[in-house]
This record gives sequence, C-alpha cells and structure tokens, in this order.
Amino acid sequence: MMGGGQPVIVLNQNTRRESGRKVQLQNINAGKMIADVIRTCLGPRSMLKMLMDPMGGIVMTSDGNAILREITVQHPAAKHMIEIARTQDEEVGDGTTSVVILAGEMLAVAEQFLDAKMHPIIIIQAYRQALEDALELLNSDEFSMKVDLDDEQKMVEVIRSCVGTKFLGQYGDMACRIAMEAVKIITVETGNTVEIDVKKWARIEKIPGGRIEDCCVLDGLMFNKDVTHPSMRRRIEKPRLILVDCPLEYKKGESQTNVEITGETDFSKMLELEEEHVRAQCADIIALKPDLVITEKGVSDLAQHFLSKANISVIRRVKKSDNNRISRASGATIINRTEELKEEDVGTGVGLFEIKKIGDEYFTFLTGCTNPKACTLLLRGPSKDLLNEVERNLHDALFVARNMRLSPAVVAGGGAIEMALSHALQEKAKSVSGIKQWPYTALAQALEVIPRTLAQNCGGNIIRLLTSLRAKHAAGEKTFGVNGETGELCDMKELRIWEPLAVKQQVYKTAVETAVMLLRIDDIVSGSKKMKEESGAGAMPTDESMMQ
Amino acid sequence: MSQLPINGVRRVGQEVRDQNVMAVSAISNVVKSSLGPVGLDKMLVDEVGDVTITNDGATILKLIEVEHPAAKIMVELAILQDEEVGDGTTSVVIIAAELIKRANELVKNSIHPTTIISGYQRARKEACKFIADHMTKKVDTLGRKCLLEAAKTAMSSKIIGLDADFFAEIAVTAIERVRHVSEESKVEKKDAKGRSSVKNVNILKVHGKSQNDSRLVDGIALYQTRAAQGMPRSLKNARIALVDFDLRKTKLQFNVNVLITNPENLEAIRDRETELTKERIDLLLDAGVNVVISTKGIDDLAMKYFIDRNCIAIRRVSKRDAKRIARATGGRVLISLADIDNEGGEVIDESSIGVAESVHEERIGDEDIFFINGCQTTRSQTLILRGANDFMLDEMERSIHDALCIVKRTLESNRVVPGGGAVEVALSVHLEHVAESMGSREQLAIFEFAQALLVIPKTLATNGAYDAAELIANLRAFHNAAQTQENKKHYMWTGLDLTKGQVRDNFAAGVLEPAMSKIKSIRFATEAAITILRIDEHITMNPKVNPKNPAGDEM
Repeated sequence: MMGGGQPVIVLNQNTRRESGRKVQLQNINAGKMIADVIRTCLGPRSMLKMLMDPMGGIVMTSDGNAILREITVQHPAAKHMIEIARTQDEEVGDGTTSVVILAGEMLAVAEQFLDAKMHPIIIIQAYRQALEDALELLNSDEFSMKVDLDDEQKMVEVIRSCVGTKFLGQYGDMACRIAMEAVKIITVETGNTVEIDVKKWARIEKIPGGRIEDCCVLDGLMFNKDVTHPSMRRRIEKPRLILVDCPLEYKKGESQTNVEITGETDFSKMLELEEEHVRAQCADIIALKPDLVITEKGVSDLAQHFLSKANISVIRRVKKSDNNRISRASGATIINRTEELKEEDVGTGVGLFEIKKIGDEYFTFLTGCTNPKACTLLLRGPSKDLLNEVERNLHDALFVARNMRLSPAVVAGGGAIEMALSHALQEKAKSVSGIKQWPYTALAQALEVIPRTLAQNCGGNIIRLLTSLRAKHAAGEKTFGVNGETGELCDMKELRIWEPLAVKQQVYKTAVETAVMLLRIDDIVSGSKKMKEESGAGAMPTDESMMQ
Repeated sequence: MSQLPINGVRRVGQEVRDQNVMAVSAISNVVKSSLGPVGLDKMLVDEVGDVTITNDGATILKLIEVEHPAAKIMVELAILQDEEVGDGTTSVVIIAAELIKRANELVKNSIHPTTIISGYQRARKEACKFIADHMTKKVDTLGRKCLLEAAKTAMSSKIIGLDADFFAEIAVTAIERVRHVSEESKVEKKDAKGRSSVKNVNILKVHGKSQNDSRLVDGIALYQTRAAQGMPRSLKNARIALVDFDLRKTKLQFNVNVLITNPENLEAIRDRETELTKERIDLLLDAGVNVVISTKGIDDLAMKYFIDRNCIAIRRVSKRDAKRIARATGGRVLISLADIDNEGGEVIDESSIGVAESVHEERIGDEDIFFINGCQTTRSQTLILRGANDFMLDEMERSIHDALCIVKRTLESNRVVPGGGAVEVALSVHLEHVAESMGSREQLAIFEFAQALLVIPKTLATNGAYDAAELIANLRAFHNAAQTQENKKHYMWTGLDLTKGQVRDNFAAGVLEPAMSKIKSIRFATEAAITILRIDEHITMNPKVNPKNPAGDEM
C-alpha cells in the first residue's frame, strides 16, 4: 500500500481483515471444534462436564446448551455455533447437543467441496434442497408416527428417551412421572388453543439434602418463606386466602409533602393518623375473615399484631411471580387497596397450608389445590451443583412433555431416524442433476454422525456397527438404530425409544441454516466499530429468564 | 518539497490523486465479493467481540472503521444510496471507485480533471436519458408478477435468496397493504398509486424455527405483554385506547412542594393520589375501552381494575408502536384527557378510540407476542422473522428491508429495467457510440465512463467464478446488435445468468430492478467520483499543536 512514497491508511490500523479461503476453512474448523467439545455428551452413555467459571463456581452438566454458555470463545464463527444451542433450548428445550454436533458435521463435509473449488453458493443450494426434502420426508407417515395423547404409556416412553440420556436417567421413572404430572397440571385448554407455559407456571424449587428419589411435584406451590410472627398458625386446612401486592404499613404519598407543625398536638396526631391507616387496612382484611394473608411487600409490626390477634397468618415479601402462581392455583385475586376487598377476591382453592422445616430453612407449602393450574417441582439431592443439573434435565423433560402435547408426533430415536433419512436422501440424491448432487449426498451422509457418535460414546465397534446399520436401512428397516447402552444394533420399536418430531425438525432446520450462514462468509473484519442503532431493538431475551 | 508555513503534512497533485484512488479501490475491494446472487457474506467483529454477518454494502462500510478521507466519502456514498433507494449500495461503491480509477489514468495522460469532470457529467446525463427512454418497461403492463420479480432480484444476493419466492410474496403483500392513497390525490386523480412507507412494516425478530416459518401479520404485533397475568389472553371486538401519560399514582412534579399545616390533609393528599388514577382508568373503561395501551407505566394498584372488568392493559409500549397502532385502528394517541370545555374536567373523545376485531397473546419461541388483528386499515403490517440465531435474524431483517424498499421504489417509479448487468452493458455500448460522435477531449472521458460501467457485469461474473472477459464480449455483441439493427431490438434485455454462467434475456427470466434505483445509483456514483476528482491537495494538520480550525483541509 505505498502511494507516492507515503503509506495510505484506509482502514483503521487496529482492524484485522482476513478473506477468502482462509476464512472459510477457519469457520469450518471453529464449527468442528465446538462440536468436538460436546461430542461426548450425546446419548445414554454421555459423560458430564465439569466447568469452572471465572468466579470459581462449578457447573456440572451434560446439557449442550449449559456447557456452551459457560465457555468463552474467541472466534466469531464459534460464537455463532454457541448461539444455536440457545435457540434450540428456547424453542424446543431438548436436542441442544445434537444440533451443534450436526451443524459441525455439516460444515466439516463441506470442506472437501471447497477444496475442490466448488462455489459456496452451490453447496448452499444443495444443502437447502436436502433440508426441504428431509423435512418433507419427516412429515410423511413412513418416518414419523402420530401419538394418541391419552396413551400415557407412549408419552412416558418419549419422555424416558429424553431423560435417558441425562444424569437423571437412573431415575427415569420418577423423572417421567414428574414431568408428565407437572405438564398436566399447567395445561389450560381454552377452545381449540392449548396453553402450556412451563416457564411461568411450573416453578422448580431446589433444596439440597435428602435423596434424589424424594423429588416430587406438588399439587400446589411451595416457596421459601415463613410466617412473620412465631405465634401465627403454621398449619391450616382449607385456608381462606387473601393476596395483596401493597405494603401493610404506612407509606408516604408519592408527591413531596412538607408538614408544618404548629400546634403541640399535631405531631402526635400525625403518628395517630399513620397508626389509623394501618388499623383501617387490617380491619378491611379482618372483615373478610381470612386465615392467611400473603403480600409482596412488607408488613409492619403493628399490622402483624392486629392480624395475629385475629388469628390470621401472614407471609410477606413473596416474589411477584410466586404471587401470580398462588393466585392461579388458589383462585384468589391479587388486590392492591384493602378498601376494595370483596368476597370474590378470597381464594379458597387451597387444601392445606403448612410451614415445614426442611434442612435449616422454613418453607411454606400450599398443597391439595382443587384446580391448581400452577405447580412447584420440589427437587432434593445431595448438593447444589447436582441439583442444578437435575433442574436442567427436568427442564428438558418438561419441554418434551409440552411439545408432545402441542404436536403429538414422534420419530424413532437412537439415531434410527437420522439413518433412515440419510438413506432416503442418498437415494433421492441420484435424481439431483448437476454438481449439486455431491454436496446433497454429503449432507445425507453427515446425518450419520448421530448414530456414529452414539456408538462411539458407548465404545461400540463403529465401523462394523454403521455398516450393518446401513444394510438394515437399505433393507427398509427404518426403525433400526444404535442401542446407546450396549452399543448394539437394535430395533427402536422394541427398545421403545422415541423422540418428539418437533425437536428433530428444529434440529435439522437450525443445523442446516447455521451451516449455510457460515459457508456464505468469505471475509472477516475484526475490530470494527460498534453499531450504534442496534441497541434500540430490545429483542434479546435474557438468559436468566430461562434459568428460573 | 518546499517547507510549509503551516504545521501539518501537505500533499499535492498526482500524489494525492494516487492515494485517493488507492483508498477508494480498497473500499470497493472490501464489498466487491458480496455483489450479485453468487456473492458471499462478510463477518464483522467489533472491539467487544460482537459479530455481524452481512451482505449489505452499506452495513459493511458502516461497520468498518475507515480513516482515509476519500474512503470516507465512499462510505457516505453507500449510506446515501441506502437512505435514498435502500438497495444497490454495493454496486454504487464499485462504480464510483472504477470511475475514479479510470479518471486518474486520464489525468496521468495530461488531461485536465475539469475536462474529465465535464465529460463524466455529460456521460451521466446521456446514461440516465438512455435508461429512461429505451431500457424501461412500465410496471402497469407487467402487473404484480413484476413486483415479485423485482423483490426476488433484490433478495437473490442475500441470505434469504434461497427462499426468495416465499419472501418476495411477503414483501409485496406487505407493501401492497400499507399503500395509502391520500384523500387529496384521490380527488385530483393524480398519484393514484398512492404512497407506501416501508416504516409501516414493522419487523419483529424471534429466534427459533427456520426462516421459512417467518410470517406476515395483518395488523400489529408487540413484544410487550399484558401487564398482569390475570388479564384475559384474548378479546374480541377490541376497543383500544392509546395513552401517552402515566397511569401510575399521580405525583407532583419534581421540586414542587406541598406545605400543609393540618396533618389530616396529608392523608387526603395520599388518597387523592390514588383516586386520580382510578378516576382516569374508570373514565377510559366507562367509555367502552377494553384494551389500554400505555407508552408509560401503569401502577400495580391499577391492575385490579382492569382484571375486574376483563380488560387488557399493556405498559411501556414504544411511542413509535403506539403511533402505528393508532394509524391501524383509527384511534389517536391521547396525550391527556383534559377537557377543553370544562376546565379541570376530563373527557375521552369517542373518535380517539381505536377499533380492532380481535386482540390476543401468543407464544412464539421463547417470547410472548401480543397481536392486534382485524384493524380498520391495513396500513400497519408486522413481519415476524424466525431463524437460527440473532446474527441471522439481523441479516434477514436487513435483507427484507432492502426488498421492501425495492418493491416500494418499483411502485413509485412505475418502471423497471432488466438486472444482471444488462443495463450497464447497454449503457456502455451506447456511451461509446456517443463518445465517437464527440469531437472534443471529453470524448476520452465519456469513453472511460462507458468502460467503467462494465465493472458491474465483470464483478458479477468474477464472483461466480466465470470467464468474465468472454461473457462480457458476448453481452456487448448482443447489445451492439440491439442498438444498431432495428430487427434485433429484443436483444436489449440480454444480461447475465449467474447460476449457469451464460447470457440470457433477463426480462423473460424475471430479473428486474426499479429504474429509479439504477438511475440514482449512476447519478450518485458520478457525483461522488467528481467530488474526489476535484481534489488536488490534501493537508493533514498535526493534532493539538495547532488549535485553530484546519481550514486548509479540503475535505
């Protein structure tokens, strides 16, 4: 860049620019690398990963999304790969590991074509065509199966296949039961729309201690709070419940007010007024004869005194989200002004209110709800890290149960569906004209990575297994896959391993679209300035919201 | 070089021109490989590590940090094109760079820059006239299909190019629906096509599913959800009030103090604070409103009133969205409820309440989206994009935006030209003829202008890894025939087919671009080239030492 003896600086000097084939190969390598990180987390013989974050905290997990979120990567393409695990998690909850492995493999098989100087656009076109064909095949009856929602046996099988690959696999039955029950509780059918909001209505509460077998779903709610005053009742059957979201104490007005005290009595009068206010609030509540009052805000000592005298138990500073759940489970309306309390606002749906001491803390239980529609999943286990993993597993199971209710179709698991698709696509590839046929076939072969990894993780003889599996599928046995426990070939119908169609569809869509996006790149400019106008969108869902 | 009286570096004459050429070439090289249906994307990483993946020329140039002043002009050129037309940002930069490069060669051959400039201007005029007179076809005669094709052409180079049919349908439908014919123009019978604003098509991005699962909503969709869970999820016959004031406890403005002497009044103030809000809400609800959308906050204490009456309240909606809702539902954004006839009183005007057939909340991916359907007009549309991750969604949004702009321009200019390099080659051939008829030195400049336009088909072919020289020779032959022989006029539409690497009739193949975008990009490119050509001195002041404004800097 020398012009007239002096260097011309066009771009900022700390910008680094790379382009052409080097970038393409780098991207492919980054994709493969990320896939390699979580390769051993697939299947029933998956191993946990222990990750240490900069703060010294530990995460133990085999969940693809959780692992990738913890690791920090430098390469932009790798970041891209990590994002897809998150998308998968948000959309269907399960299959986060498969999607990354599959995307990595799809990038890897494209490398040979780039080496052969094939234009990326052609590879991309072939990939998209293959994806469309695959999705069409998936929807046909040959590959997927409709499930009757009332067939609980089948539902349990599907959830078990999901849980089977995880830490909770040893407690498969329990996990299935929990997930099924929880989803059943929170399902609301209005007309022809089914609403299942796992995030909002099914709360997972973790209490270290006890055994994993002690985990359960409550037909109601539980939260980490105690009554405000020791003399209040700790166990009430069929309580009358009032929910408020205002403080039961004196609160100054919003406007700035100054009081000029002139007379001697004025000061005590002011104090009296404040007292009077609390007294009035309590009187309003007591008039409805509730047994239990739950507020999101604070309760003053004075109010406690009045209420406990009226034999009312009070719980304060409950989270908004918990209050919403209580409202839904008990039928009480959350009110803000006590003077507007009506008989209808009182909730009577709760069967039993009880405070229990578990470990070192007190917990409030509201159980035996007549029509809960919201629930708490109570998890017990030896340590916090382990409970976190159990929570993630259950989260996946809940999502699977939800997906099953929303779109009740399944495909054979254990790599069988990938093998069947791979075979069908390779057959189809023969009718694809032009050089597109090569990448098309390559994508079909890339699908085999799932059964291959399954076999690899359980120490099977990969080559023998895959060749015989191919032979089976060539003979039309579409449900044959790898038994991830033993590393043997077997019929998934007998093993009863099913996966929801929705999860698989999303896996293929995301994997192919990611591969396509990364293959389209031929230039990386790093150190560019920050985009200014992007901050306004506000579309980013928070990671934390998923953790709750 | 003589010593300067100013504290800075001074470069003059050929040195400056060479540097400028180098700078603009560098810029055009950055975006070159993203041109055309076989162009590829760029990945941009900023200091924080955030990634942007894009194919859009303007976006790329906006994101890279450019230091050279001539290069900055190029970046601004791309941004200008983006704002004016919305698409063609890459090609405008490439043409401008090529024009400057060729002009520099002429200067080296001792032709004064002003001669070149006037030659370029002449050529530009001829080119625009030629496009308008010979290369266009009317949209009216071609119908809706032509809009779809224009949209598809705009998208072909982008990430959504593979699903161009799908997205073209969405883009055209969206623009058709938001098209608005104002009352005056209806009366005067002119501008009967109406105007459509791309801004009325709102784009929401939710990750998950695949890009084919994107959809167009006839109405409004918002990220915000109901303010409280107890509110109904859906309502029929919605009457919507849009409020732009706080529905929280009324409080006096900052620094306003109330001084009271009687303590009992304190309580009265507190009560009044809550009462005022309640009265307002009651006023709204009594007027039959069942959906209240606020750009400000709504207090938790107010929730119960809405729940009791089975109404929906949404808070913290952006002002832009509120205006959009108002436009769609025929309502008005209420700034206050004050009554003009009755001082201190408050009323709500029936005409300011918006009406929609139904509203409902739906869960998409991991987010709750609030929909308003069946609005009075179709002037507000919402596009919900789905895709694998954020980077992809951002790029999809940019691509869709380009497509929407193109459809809009096509409707406005009402004329289309063939794409795939057809116009550029035709112009090049035509301008060469023009050049030959000129007796002055400008002939050389016009000739170079003609050559410079060929850079577009050349780059297109190179990106597709085809033999550019042969393809262009081929194209030129066709266009020469079309312009000289009367019976071969139909060859005029010949352009490149980049998937096969052949030439073909691009009108028949449905590769169309709005005429306006072509004319504007040639105009902008020439003007930018001229600006840079006029420079013959470049003074960079040394920082700090001279606090005075560096007035000698010609930039």
